[in-house]
Amino acid sequence: MSLVDDLRSALSHDRVLEEPLELHLYSKDASMMRGEATCVVLTETTDEVAAVVRIAEDHRVPIVARGAGTGLTAGASPTEGGIVLSTTLMNDIEIDVDNRTAWVGAGVINLDLSTYAEPYGLHFAPDPSSQSVCTIGGNVANNSGGAHCLAEGATTSHVLGLEVVLAGGEVVVLGGEAPDSPGLDIKGIIVGSEGTLGIVTSALVRLLPLDPDVRTLLIDFETMEEATQTVSDMIAAGFVPAALEIMDQKMMVAVENWLHAGFPTDAAAMLLAEVVGETEAVTAEAALISEMAYKNNARGVELAEDEAHRAKLWKGRKSAFGALAQISPDYYLHDTVVPRSRLVETMDEVQQIADRYGLDVYNVFHAGDGNLHPLISFDASEEGMLDKVQRAGEEMVAACLRNGGALSGEHGIGLEKRDMMRASFTELDLDAQARLKEAFDPEGLFNPAKILPEGSRCFDFGGTRRPIPEGAWV
Amino acid sequence: MGWVTEEHPTDQELDACVQCGLCLPLCPTFRLTGKETASPRGRLQAMNAVRDGLFEVDETFEHIMDFCLGCRACEPVCPGMVPYGRALEGTRAEIVAQRPSASHRLRAFLLGSLLGSRGTLNVGSTLLGFAQMLRLTELAPRRYRRLTSGLRPLRGRSDASVGHSGGSGAAGSVGLLSGCVQDQWFRPTNRAAIELLEMAGYRVEAPLAQTCCGALAAHDGKAPEARSLAAINTPAFDGYDMIVATAAGCSAHLREYAHWADDGESVGSRSIDITVAIAEAIERGLLPRVETDNGEIGIQDPCHLRHAQRVTAEPRAILEAAGYQVVEIDPAGMCCGAAGLYTILQPEASQELGNQKAEQIRSTGVKRVASANSGCEMQMRSALGDEVEIRHPIEWYLDAIEAARTRVNVAAVKDPS
Repeated sequence: MSLVDDLRSALSHDRVLEEPLELHLYSKDASMMRGEATCVVLTETTDEVAAVVRIAEDHRVPIVARGAGTGLTAGASPTEGGIVLSTTLMNDIEIDVDNRTAWVGAGVINLDLSTYAEPYGLHFAPDPSSQSVCTIGGNVANNSGGAHCLAEGATTSHVLGLEVVLAGGEVVVLGGEAPDSPGLDIKGIIVGSEGTLGIVTSALVRLLPLDPDVRTLLIDFETMEEATQTVSDMIAAGFVPAALEIMDQKMMVAVENWLHAGFPTDAAAMLLAEVVGETEAVTAEAALISEMAYKNNARGVELAEDEAHRAKLWKGRKSAFGALAQISPDYYLHDTVVPRSRLVETMDEVQQIADRYGLDVYNVFHAGDGNLHPLISFDASEEGMLDKVQRAGEEMVAACLRNGGALSGEHGIGLEKRDMMRASFTELDLDAQARLKEAFDPEGLFNPAKILPEGSRCFDFGGTRRPIPEGAWV
Repeated sequence: MGWVTEEHPTDQELDACVQCGLCLPLCPTFRLTGKETASPRGRLQAMNAVRDGLFEVDETFEHIMDFCLGCRACEPVCPGMVPYGRALEGTRAEIVAQRPSASHRLRAFLLGSLLGSRGTLNVGSTLLGFAQMLRLTELAPRRYRRLTSGLRPLRGRSDASVGHSGGSGAAGSVGLLSGCVQDQWFRPTNRAAIELLEMAGYRVEAPLAQTCCGALAAHDGKAPEARSLAAINTPAFDGYDMIVATAAGCSAHLREYAHWADDGESVGSRSIDITVAIAEAIERGLLPRVETDNGEIGIQDPCHLRHAQRVTAEPRAILEAAGYQVVEIDPAGMCCGAAGLYTILQPEASQELGNQKAEQIRSTGVKRVASANSGCEMQMRSALGDEVEIRHPIEWYLDAIEAARTRVNVAAVKDPS
């Protein structure tokens, strides 16, 4: 039987897509790189995922899991062809209020989980900017962070257990309610593996109590240095607020044009700081932030008046990438981490690189953990533009690495940064990772060609893997 | 083949999407199916693919576009400010041009000529009234029965509003869009609009030279029909300070007339929804606030008010002035599944969304609901039957004013001092 026939016998007819136009819509995520899906399946149960994995193995085609398709590194682009497995219909939530945990289907939208848990006084802490759309499965795959992960830690700190479909369609549950499961932390290996080791169908996550009170401060500065210095001062003083976000002037203008959130568009930089906890504590901490900001020549400190105002400020911050669409049709966003003490000089270097290439660069970033997001705004239809943007992007990442940074903060490696892995890891490091991948996925069918560059395995002679398809852009 | 008409989505409209995906969770069809092909981002990508010559306007493309409600819930949340509704209307016009069919020809006739003909609508509605009285409507095929079961009783209805003129004009002049089926099936809404606007001091005229606004034709890709209707209305509404429509779908369309008619800009800039006009009159003290406590009422936001016009505060302000405590039915503002012709063309998805909305209403426990769009009203009535009374916010408001007056008069008689 053909691949599609096999899949249709395992799933209902309408959950297997094969029309070329339908496949085209699943051929990329929110990044620039397009692959080519052989077919798309929408699974509803773990058993169905296991069946699809076995069928993929029978037909020797790759299988790429996809949540909401908001990834920025082509992690969910079927660049080697094969089956795209959409988890959007796997959206059950089983909450355990007493233990403050929940078993959550891979396709549950991050914010839906917090909305669901709210009546129980609980929430899911990791809050990527795309949290209103992105799925728990994707969060686990990329070990996603978010503005409020500064104090609470990224996804991996909130995952207690995972149900995973492995090679051969074997279903395993890793970890569990016990705080420290015996044996090797296999669950910890799966988190952040971007669908290259197996397919996560469900996660047991930790839920945190809602914060009793919150203060959100909007602080504007005449220079970016003063904004970042304020952040450094706070961390140096051993004070870690819930969130510390910085946006530059150009980015604020784009967001304001759409949302009218009241961002200070005449300031060089804006620091959005948030503290959570008991009323007395947050009042004192807000005063402390204010003091540190004024010591660094802040022009003004504004406190969010109410929940609606606070929500609007965060909406502005979290929609920033999309707002760039007003300026030009494409953007390329890098996700790197540098030590906080090197933020200012790294940003200067990034600006210099952009200037040298004649590109427009915008900055919006998680200042608290030094996670930079320089965005290059451009029009891909201009001759030679893609190439220019790519080279500038590579130089920017190299500059971050030179300043003691890491390749990725929270978006993952995917295909986008795959070939930059060599700048971060030695051959031995890569070989060790490739052996791990082989142990899980001997056939190489789970999201192939992602994370690890060709030839990662020592004595890897290239094999039969196809090169990156034409038109795809790394 | 790419695009073949002038209506097609422009490069500017399509390039405004960077595929961030923020629209997905707000899209009712994406929520129903979980499919990228049923999401705004997916549909824009499909439009892009045709624009770029990668795909044809084929059957799959048509299915993908047909499944969209056109609710425009994706627009307010879009940081790239993609004018999705416009792009969809343009795309549907392309489908009509590139994939002609008997169904499209029939719909073009119904949405252009029939809705534009007051006489035919009048005769048809009178017959429908008889059929309703004799319960013949229960014999209609299922997908139409869901429509007829949402109708208000048509027999013994009040007079049409078209042709009306009255009021002092101290507050200014209003041209009332009577609407096509609105002036046949929802006459109490139009009568309430006239009464309240005149009470507020407006001169109200519903010019005889007007016709259907063309919203349904435009949404269905019947662009030439929509343009013909707009060309009739533009001169008919010349000279009024305000142009008011009593169905959110119509007011939303009038406000976009710049696209549909020469000189349409003038109509567009003067047009507002009745809820905005009445809320403003209350705010300015031209209309009273009722002091009595009338209990709870559920509010349903029509998509063409909430998403297309970003109007939410006004209907709530009207209900509060009517002495009601407003109960939110759906904070996310999901479409009820009515969406114009969608009820008939996509009966399954429409019914599913209608049932979801009905469930939301039941869970609030309200027995009264306000909706500022007749299509939504019919959809909810069809799903809920007699469980809940559904009317336009201004009807609830006018009733409350009249009830308060009666009480004052009764009190006055009892206590002559």
